[in-house]
Amino acid sequence: MTIETSNQCMTAAAAKALLQQGLSCQVNSDLPPQFQVGDLVQAKVVHPATYTRLPRYVRGKVGTVMQDHGVYVFPDTVGQRLATKPQHVYSVRFSAQALWGQAAPASDALYLDLFDDHLEVP
Amino acid sequence: MTTHHHRPESEIALRVKAIESLLVEKGIVDPAALDTIIEHYEHQVGPHVGAQIVAKAWVDPDFKRRLLADGTGAIAELGLTGFSSEHMIVVENTATVHNLIVCTLCSCYPWAILGLPPTWYKSLAYRSRAVIEPRSVLAEFGLVLPDTVEVRVWDSNADLRYLVLPERPDGTDGLSEEALAALVTRNAMIGTAKVQPPSAPTPIAA
Amino acid sequence: MNGPHDLGGMQGLGAIPIEENEPVFHSEWEAKVFAMSFATFSTFFPVDETRHAAERIPAGEYLSASYYERWLAALELLLTEHGWLTPAEIEDRITHLRQTES
Repeated sequence: MTIETSNQCMTAAAAKALLQQGLSCQVNSDLPPQFQVGDLVQAKVVHPATYTRLPRYVRGKVGTVMQDHGVYVFPDTVGQRLATKPQHVYSVRFSAQALWGQAAPASDALYLDLFDDHLEVP
Repeated sequence: MTTHHHRPESEIALRVKAIESLLVEKGIVDPAALDTIIEHYEHQVGPHVGAQIVAKAWVDPDFKRRLLADGTGAIAELGLTGFSSEHMIVVENTATVHNLIVCTLCSCYPWAILGLPPTWYKSLAYRSRAVIEPRSVLAEFGLVLPDTVEVRVWDSNADLRYLVLPERPDGTDGLSEEALAALVTRNAMIGTAKVQPPSAPTPIAA
Repeated sequence: MNGPHDLGGMQGLGAIPIEENEPVFHSEWEAKVFAMSFATFSTFFPVDETRHAAERIPAGEYLSASYYERWLAALELLLTEHGWLTPAEIEDRITHLRQTES
């Protein structure tokens, strides 16, 4: 395990500060993005037995990068206390039909926030 | 409400009390911090925070532009950010686009902006169905959308949190920002309702 | 993991349970479970570790538990896995409280 916690009891003052300031997951980094806005991307077909924020219903599906949110710590590894593994997160649009078939309304869509490690070139 | 407790409530309450007493004894949690946290969510934050943001966007076009371009920054201008709302995306409902927020993997929600989520948002039914059949979910809330409206469902699966900017209802031209905020409901900011015009004539604020 | 939490698209979970004018917490124990979990966020457990803990609740239990029962199970799992509490300590304290309260 490489992510250590302080294991210090949270005081009322510290709780107040956490409530008001939150916990930023964003990382200041000049790490280049692997994908650009407008790119078609495919969510990887993977079935890790560990923590992942890549839901099953998008795995293998192709969507379009709509926005690059910047660099964030990677929850899939943080959840296992392994590493922060910072990388770009993108808003990816999937048509409802791409996910659920022709019976879904042609106009409807789903947006997910996916990390570089969740995506590949289709 | 559907809850399916395995154990009677009294058994769970006793278990929680046991764990709390052990954690306090061992110096892992501080009772004063627990009180602060509970008080914050019971009395400080709630949908009134989001309603304030929505009303400001309705009356201030420059703020609305900033809010849609950089939700985090615009909300920070008002000093309203906080835990579980650190990275905010605001999506706008229009005559042709309707947005709906869900978290299929757990129940992520903008706590500092809307307070803790309602039971329905955390329910297995909402989490499973909002992505595959959003229109029938909306119909259960009494909101039937025509086919000409595009439904966009936002699954909050990462660290971004979402707020819907609902459409400003007709008949509200003369209302103050405060009066507008009073019209904005929690469900309208998640996307399971529209903001309704004032039901009775509202006096125009001086 | 392909756990019970990964619900998107699952069918058969019924109507949306809409409750009018619901309180923030439905009981004191819900508030305490929430607050104890919050008070250990990042200090003892990264938030994503707590999410993963909830996902590791056995599938049948996950699907039948209420929201804060899942939080309680996740908190207990992490506290015991990391050695902050033992299951025996918890059971002993429950027994003790039951005796002193009756």
